[in-house]
Amino acid sequence: MKLEMRRKLASEPFAEKIRKVAQLIQLAKTFPSRASRPPASRAAR
Amino acid sequence: MAINQPSENLPLADVLRAANGLVTAGLIGDWALGGALAAIYYVEPFTTYDADIFFIPKDRGLTAGIPAIYAHLQAQGWQVEGEHLLIHGFPVQFLAATGLTQEAVREAKRIDYEGVPAKVFRAEHIVAIAASVGRAKDKARIEQMLQQADLDKTRLEKILQRHKIRMP
Repeated sequence: MKLEMRRKLASEPFAEKIRKVAQLIQLAKTFPSRASRPPASRAAR
Repeated sequence: MAINQPSENLPLADVLRAANGLVTAGLIGDWALGGALAAIYYVEPFTTYDADIFFIPKDRGLTAGIPAIYAHLQAQGWQVEGEHLLIHGFPVQFLAATGLTQEAVREAKRIDYEGVPAKVFRAEHIVAIAASVGRAKDKARIEQMLQQADLDKTRLEKILQRHKIRMP
């Protein structure tokens, strides 16, 4: 992800970011192997 | 919803409310949110599986009053799983603050999270703590904080000097 996008996400309200963390946790539970793989190895596929 | 019922939402407001309750009950002094969730206050959201609450102990004994904290929260329906307490299935660790983390608690930023007054470690303390721990994930956190957080470099330098910490 581009740095600009990361910074934009970083500037969101804390409560909104916490909602996204909860979504990420749910995703990780739904797709455990995919979610636990680091971004670099996903990109390398 | 019952406190021990799992939730799809992250029950951070309940965690912060409980920490305030521990102060009211006289079991801890000051406290602040640290760890990954504190970092997320400053950077993009990422997956984390627990909350770290750092507290200044009232009990100066070896246990720092942790058994009384566990008993108090268990009486309110929290469950114990290993070193964590669970609220709505979400693990929370209560960690006695010392040295650098104690300073981080005392100087933490006051916030309001969904109507709950709370404190969160300042970005500079998060970086200094990560530098002092120095694991791979801490180095990654430092990089992320340097890229995305609005750091006060002077404040960070002073913290690093005061606690004799070197950046990796």
